[in-house]
Amino acid sequence: MRRAHWLAAVAAVVLSLLVPLVVQTDYKLQVLFRIYLFASLGLAWNLVGGYAGQLSLGHAAYFGAGAYGLALFSGTLGMSPWLAVLAGVAGAMACALLIGGVSFRLRGPYFALSTIAFAEILRLTAKNLPGLTGGDVGVPVPALFHGNINRSFYWAAVALAALSFALTVVISRAKFGYYLMAIREDEDTALSVGIGAARNKLAALLISAALTALAGALYASIFLFIVPDQVLALDVSNEIAIVAMLGGAGTVLGPIVGSVVLETASEIFKNTFKEAHQLIFGVLLVFVVLFLPGGIVGTIAGLLRRSDIPGEGA
Amino acid sequence: MVKRPAFYLALLLCGMFTVPACAGSRQDAGEVLRIGVITSLTGSAAAFGQAHKNGYTIALDELNAAGGVMGKKIDLVYYDDQSRPDQAVQGVNKLVDQDGVPIILGAYSSENTRAIVPAVTQKSIPLVMPTATADNVLETGSPWVFRICAGSSAYAAATLDFLKAMDAPKSMAIVYENTNFGQSNADAMDKAARAAGFDVVDSEAYQASSPDYKALLQRVKARNPAIIYFASYLLDASTLMRQASQTNLNPQYYTSAGTGFAAAEFPTRDKGAGPYAEYTFSVSQWLPTARWKGSKEFDDAFFKLTGTHPAYHAMQAYAALLTATAAIRQANSAEPAAIRDALKAINLPETPFGPIKFDEHGQNPHQVLITQVLEGQYKVVYPPEAAETKPVVPTPPWDTRRAK
Amino acid sequence: MDVYAALQAVINGLLTGALYALIGMGLALIFGVMRIVNFAHGAFMMLGMYVTYVLFTRTGISPYALFIVTGTILFAFGYVVYFALMRPIHGQSDFMQILLTLGVGLICTDAVQLIFGADYHQINIPLQDTNFRIGPNISVNAPWVVSFGIACVLALALYLFVMRTMTGRAARAIAQNRYAAPLMGINVFRVQAISFAVGSAAAGIAGALLLPVFYLYPGVGDQFTLKAFVMVVLGGMESIVGAALAGLVLGVVENLTSLYWGNEWALAVDFAIFVLVLSLKPSGIFGRQTV
Repeated sequence: MRRAHWLAAVAAVVLSLLVPLVVQTDYKLQVLFRIYLFASLGLAWNLVGGYAGQLSLGHAAYFGAGAYGLALFSGTLGMSPWLAVLAGVAGAMACALLIGGVSFRLRGPYFALSTIAFAEILRLTAKNLPGLTGGDVGVPVPALFHGNINRSFYWAAVALAALSFALTVVISRAKFGYYLMAIREDEDTALSVGIGAARNKLAALLISAALTALAGALYASIFLFIVPDQVLALDVSNEIAIVAMLGGAGTVLGPIVGSVVLETASEIFKNTFKEAHQLIFGVLLVFVVLFLPGGIVGTIAGLLRRSDIPGEGA
Repeated sequence: MVKRPAFYLALLLCGMFTVPACAGSRQDAGEVLRIGVITSLTGSAAAFGQAHKNGYTIALDELNAAGGVMGKKIDLVYYDDQSRPDQAVQGVNKLVDQDGVPIILGAYSSENTRAIVPAVTQKSIPLVMPTATADNVLETGSPWVFRICAGSSAYAAATLDFLKAMDAPKSMAIVYENTNFGQSNADAMDKAARAAGFDVVDSEAYQASSPDYKALLQRVKARNPAIIYFASYLLDASTLMRQASQTNLNPQYYTSAGTGFAAAEFPTRDKGAGPYAEYTFSVSQWLPTARWKGSKEFDDAFFKLTGTHPAYHAMQAYAALLTATAAIRQANSAEPAAIRDALKAINLPETPFGPIKFDEHGQNPHQVLITQVLEGQYKVVYPPEAAETKPVVPTPPWDTRRAK
Repeated sequence: MDVYAALQAVINGLLTGALYALIGMGLALIFGVMRIVNFAHGAFMMLGMYVTYVLFTRTGISPYALFIVTGTILFAFGYVVYFALMRPIHGQSDFMQILLTLGVGLICTDAVQLIFGADYHQINIPLQDTNFRIGPNISVNAPWVVSFGIACVLALALYLFVMRTMTGRAARAIAQNRYAAPLMGINVFRVQAISFAVGSAAAGIAGALLLPVFYLYPGVGDQFTLKAFVMVVLGGMESIVGAALAGLVLGVVENLTSLYWGNEWALAVDFAIFVLVLSLKPSGIFGRQTV
């Protein structure tokens, strides 16, 4: 059983890597880059939001930490770009420790609001300290790849998505994953059977933050220039969360499907509906919530399960 | 069970191939010459994006009525960057790869414009910038970018020249919104003022679109500056002036980096600060009453199209399209490199936006005027050769005005 | 800066804070009864502003009288939105409910942009130019005083609604324990619908009162949604009074920050206080332990 899954996954990754042989234009490669990047972001978010059940709406904090880490560590401190990326990841994990430490003491919507507040504080700090971060005027970002950059970034995004996917699969089948799911289902009961809620939630957040920061660094580098509202805004946090929730939070494939659907829909809507595209997007969200409650994958899985032979679990 | 994940993955891969494969058609060597435009049709800058679109439309109609360029009609392909820099970059790729445009005009905001500079450079496509004023848009030194409008350093220099000519006392406070526009203008003025021997007694950033700035104005009042330099959009410009009156803040000069303080609606009661705008100075890139040939006609055409009078953003868009087509005509080619070379050499002495010619950095040394709001109208007061009337200085204190 | 500047800042902060309070109270009611982080709350305030704008330009009646009409329209709107969109997803996870309100907010904002355009609008009433002086050093702008007065009256009305009426008591019961409430014979759906409608009306009225002193554009509500969240948490999640007091506190803190540190930090300070309160006293400054 499992081997067939892994084979299918590996085949998908290989095929994805081969895509640039067929698709050559920068525009399409960038759209694909975005799809894979948001798939990674969704998968990373999923660890905290889907498996641990903690609705984080402040993931932009880690995304921005990765982006600004790359820009500032290589700019002001003169580190080489890839080292700066690692420094950014470390920075994001430090943020996660702080944010998680404070926020995980809260439940449900309180937690969500707390994460929003932290991300906003980071954004406003970046905006109001131009001497340090370039402020709203922006800061240049070094290129992580040279040569055929769109293809290289696309491959990097595929690699990151594959990594996030693999981590998700491994975690979801390990004890750690079950602890997270137990916390999601009923934190008090989980505590009563000896599962350290704070410890596990924080661990999930640290992994999630690291992956998100990597994505942030890639994103910043492909544009060679960032401003706070691009990487630290509430919109970014919302998009990450929506990708996962739309696809199906708590499922392995959900964020991937969510990213494909969301990013392509966004692009098509923009070109077709022009000024009305936000409206159509809002309608799409409402539609999904009303009619596809488990997200796309969750709903399809539910439908398929009903037609399955009894005894075959998901 | 085995089938399910494979099924999903297959679905995904199909999706990834088909979706980007569809949509978009290449530039055909037919009857139309396509020019790409990136602007903000939605999002926070949507009102200005619309102004751009109106300016482009007027220019397009005029140019096509006169026969287009190289015997073909011009077609504008718009890309909405949603007021976001990353979308602007995506726009460059789409316009070049899918629509095959040889030149791009845009974007609206400074951060979006700065964001697309690496992209157009990498794709070797010339870019004509209509409205971005931040100084950093030209910082990369790319040979592919050209800016029509004057930048924030030019604003600062013109304002300081005016103040020196007026023998103004040398203490200044800078009040600016904490966005790209505000920060870049504040930075430019701070540097230039200090270099010119002015004392910058206060520098206040504010969060745009706040209902209440009275505490901020109180802070400025405590420093007692003779001059205040604002970098604000229309909403805040009106709120700030109204609340300056309520705070009884009375510097000798209210000056500004244009935009909000130069908007057509700013001196009006309906959509601006009304009487509170009186006596304020602003830098200006263009006015409907400007002495350049074609200015009045543009104003009339804009009024006919929209029922309102244009601010300079619309004119800058108009001028950008004009310049682009002039370059194409001069190069007699739709090849990006040829158009770029034509832009480098271009010399248009008489456009409704004044003379257009780019220096070695790609900057058009556009003249910056200083205007003052007098009796609800913008009047050019500096430099003397362009002035319509003498400036009224110092600014009368609010109490004397309220007596009216 | 002297003590008068500080006093002026505090007074202005209270005046602004009253409008904040109205928005916050609405959200507190919605949150308490429905446990929804309503991302569309600011959009409803924006709708209230647009409704008032249209009515004012058609009829010339002052917004300070029109707010009653605006409130009624937003009440009806909220009621319909509840039954059409929120009730069907009643049992679902918090995630999905938040996603829904995000979608509703987007729809409202973009629809308004399509209908009215992205451009700014403002209204002019003679009251805007009137200022009252309190002694030689303090002055207050008339429209703010009027909206303060109206906001106080409405806050009191909302308080009485929640404390004294049957529906209000039912709402509090649901807030305390939403599983036991239906066992007590409370029609949860009806009470939730009314609460959501009242909360939306409060936001709409705040918009109507803000119209004479501020500007109108499709995105105007966004900044208020986040502030409303901050107020609700500061005040203790279901506490109407808490949210109102938090609104006043927020207004004053923002102004003092503007005065002594800088306007650009006011919003960051809001969030910093938010985080501090959450970490030290999660039930809110004025709340009880019902987390």
